[in-house]
Amino acid sequence: MSYDLIVIGTGPGGYVCAIRAAQLGLKTAVVEKRATHGGTCLNVGCIPSKALLHASELFEESGKSFAKMGIGVSTPKLDLAAMQAFKDTGVDGNVKGVEFLLKKNKIDAFRGTGRIFEPGKVEVKGEDGKTQTLETKNIVIATGSDVAKLRGITIDEKRVVSSTGALALDKVPGQLLVVGAGIIGLELGSVWRRLGAKVTVVEFLDRIVPGIDTDVAKNFQRLLQRQGIAFKLSSKVTGVDASGDKLKATIEPAAGGAAETIEADIVLVAVGRVPYTEGLGLKEAGVAMDDRGHVAVDAHLQTNVKGIYAIGDVIAGPMLAHKAEDEGVAAAETIAGKSGHVNYDVIPNVVYTYPEVASVGKTEEELKQAGVAYNVGKFPFTANGRAKVNMTTDGFVKILADAKTDRVLGVHILGPDAGNMIAEAAVAMEFGASSEDIARTCHAHPTLTEAVKEAALAVEKRAIHM
Amino acid sequence: MGEISTKVLVLGGGPGGYVAAIRAGQCHLDTVLVEGTRVGGTCLNVGCIPSKALIHAAEAYDHARRQEKTLPFGLKVQKPSIDFAKTIAWKDGIVARLNTGVAGLLKRNHVNILRGHGVMLDGKTCRVETDTGPETIRAEHVILATGSVPTPLPSLPFGSNVISSTEALSLAKVPETLAVVGAGYIGLELGTAFAKLGAKVTVVEATDRILPLYDAELTRPVARHLATLGVEVLTKAKAVGKSKKGDALVVEVGGGKREIYAQTILVAVGRKPLTEGWGLEQIDLTMSGPFIAIDERCATSMRNVWAIGDVTGEPMLAHRAMAQGEMVADIIAGERRVFDKVAIPAVCFTDPEIVSVGLTPAAARAAGHQIQTGVFPFQASGRAMTLAAEDGFVRVTARADNHLILGIQAVGAGVSELSAAFGLALEMGARLEDIGGTIHAHPTLGEAFQEASFKTLGEALHI
Repeated sequence: MSYDLIVIGTGPGGYVCAIRAAQLGLKTAVVEKRATHGGTCLNVGCIPSKALLHASELFEESGKSFAKMGIGVSTPKLDLAAMQAFKDTGVDGNVKGVEFLLKKNKIDAFRGTGRIFEPGKVEVKGEDGKTQTLETKNIVIATGSDVAKLRGITIDEKRVVSSTGALALDKVPGQLLVVGAGIIGLELGSVWRRLGAKVTVVEFLDRIVPGIDTDVAKNFQRLLQRQGIAFKLSSKVTGVDASGDKLKATIEPAAGGAAETIEADIVLVAVGRVPYTEGLGLKEAGVAMDDRGHVAVDAHLQTNVKGIYAIGDVIAGPMLAHKAEDEGVAAAETIAGKSGHVNYDVIPNVVYTYPEVASVGKTEEELKQAGVAYNVGKFPFTANGRAKVNMTTDGFVKILADAKTDRVLGVHILGPDAGNMIAEAAVAMEFGASSEDIARTCHAHPTLTEAVKEAALAVEKRAIHM
Repeated sequence: MGEISTKVLVLGGGPGGYVAAIRAGQCHLDTVLVEGTRVGGTCLNVGCIPSKALIHAAEAYDHARRQEKTLPFGLKVQKPSIDFAKTIAWKDGIVARLNTGVAGLLKRNHVNILRGHGVMLDGKTCRVETDTGPETIRAEHVILATGSVPTPLPSLPFGSNVISSTEALSLAKVPETLAVVGAGYIGLELGTAFAKLGAKVTVVEATDRILPLYDAELTRPVARHLATLGVEVLTKAKAVGKSKKGDALVVEVGGGKREIYAQTILVAVGRKPLTEGWGLEQIDLTMSGPFIAIDERCATSMRNVWAIGDVTGEPMLAHRAMAQGEMVADIIAGERRVFDKVAIPAVCFTDPEIVSVGLTPAAARAAGHQIQTGVFPFQASGRAMTLAAEDGFVRVTARADNHLILGIQAVGAGVSELSAAFGLALEMGARLEDIGGTIHAHPTLGEAFQEASFKTLGEALHI
């Protein structure tokens, strides 16, 4: 059997790449070692975490804001097993959906671990140890990423967990220690805090959510602290003692100094993710890597070996499902002889905490560093009618526009439903819109998106509602 | 009697009027705003804002009630209670804060607010009855922003238990039975809220389906949910009056008459421009049906008399009025502008919500376009699954020849916040490929917009 394309890995990058390739008439197969398709995102990432975030937000909401509206409710009792079942239903629906899509597009799916035997040949090793070799004109590596480990800490997925284990806890920990104040740590920290855990987040840097606009990060941290999450910045966890009933984590200042011990029931290691390239046979096939362990690709997502491409978390760039998907589409189109393209300047980014954080384009720090003169327009949700009636007035919208041309260079939203609102900003930036273009677009009243329009007006210091 | 001379006079402090005044103030124009009651108009005081507050509270209550039995999130609560007086007080608190906020904004922009009923004496002069006596204002430019009022039904005049949306937002308690006449967005938004708060609601609609201004495909999920909430909807039904005893609404339906018991009858058959009681007859402007006729600059037939908002025609939406108000102030300040919005989004805060921006497929065909259209259901959206809100879809309509997007509609939980992306896409002249090629964050509801665009191209990835 010979294929036009074999995709190794069926996460969001891989399965989307395969579907697009099949649409374009390529004979396509996928290789997946997990029991289900969908990769980290669908199985142990975006989707299950969002299900728990939504459910836990409802749990907290009914305890807090209802009384103000005249609604009397008893403190809700948590049925964690039922909540986990809700999450599992969401995951199940999603992974079955992918399986259906692959079938519908007549893509052959091989279960097992894929290895590039040589350019043009992929070996699949099944769970039973049997191997078969598939021939193909092109290969796309979409093996994704794995949890980054910390020296001195052994993840057992029971008490010392990665995000995977943190999504499947069977009871609410009394004390949760989160190592790493990135997106994953803060999302899962939020889930368990809402459900009753006392959460401490330790971060090596002197700020949370590295990469996010500093102004946003500072305000975000303040809001999370107000919710009860404790932060230890500029600190590192050097070890976790799991010998007793309670875990004992040793924490030192990042710059060195006296260590302290923090007790915890669960330690979540969320210090990032690393590209997954193990056992793929890349070295043997002569595929070049970059110095950080990513598969190196050119502007067309092709590696140094002709006919071998790579997309998603396994190559450089933000480890985001939608970035992988877009690369999957681009790679499939390139292989099919079309001109696939990814615009790396306009990739939105969302943190699904409360409030949410969403951004697209450049941060203030990046613009300063690049020496670009820019104007800032900012508008708080406290001045937005819809946010007021929803009692979600934390946060703001910030638009950064070129001082000379008014072209929008970055949009940063800290606030309710920011993830849905960032779509407008992404569309605007793809069109090279000016802040005036956003300001002059009629935004429906009363919606949260009016804050985006007002921030655009504020770039020229002419906000109406502030 | 005092006399004031000013550059700009704004008659009416609703969203159109107060935004015009703020913008005029920003442009350093000497401005007086005349408002008979509280600033903020229908929208802030008895419309958009209080209704959304009530809708939010009703949704929260409904959620709590359903938590134990039908919701999947693993939360158990005992039967919730509602103290409706407190709900209304909470809503009034928000309205009061917004009133104060708008008044503060006006002051900060040096707008002189004159409280009192204003009557135009001619195209430049307005007489205002203030608490301290009458004032006469002479202005170089007049912006008429008098808004609209609920349309009464001759057979069901407002009074006692026959109420408009205004009174519905300030009821002392949740009526046990509520009849809603008119299944437009106002009737359905409020009817749904009261059903969630525990009222037995019956909706009476003269045409053959709910939300007749939207197409059937779009309104189907709303109709489905009304049924789940136990709301009875009578279509092709005409409300003819109250029963003799006054305890029921009499409806002609299916060739017979039926009495619907109702403690309260909400008449929500539409709104009409407010063109009486403020001296319109003195200035003899050209009309367009019941509305004041305006051109693309919001100029009326009289020089330097401008009109904005509901008094100038459909769609009667706050954001249209605001956009017009902002523009007129700019024009008076010397900018060259016309009202050339490609898209004015319309949102129904029903359950689920509906958004329509630009043309529907039927309207596009009727306008002579060869079209392609594609639908992406929220059932196939990962985000919708995690919210347990999968009913609904995004639908995109584009020209068949060059793929220029002509219209976008959506129905689903939370889609009101997608309206901005839809509107911006139309304003930028986006084609299907442009939206398909824009990376949409995962997992968000916005991905459905991208996928619907792919679908219209015949290249959907997730269905």
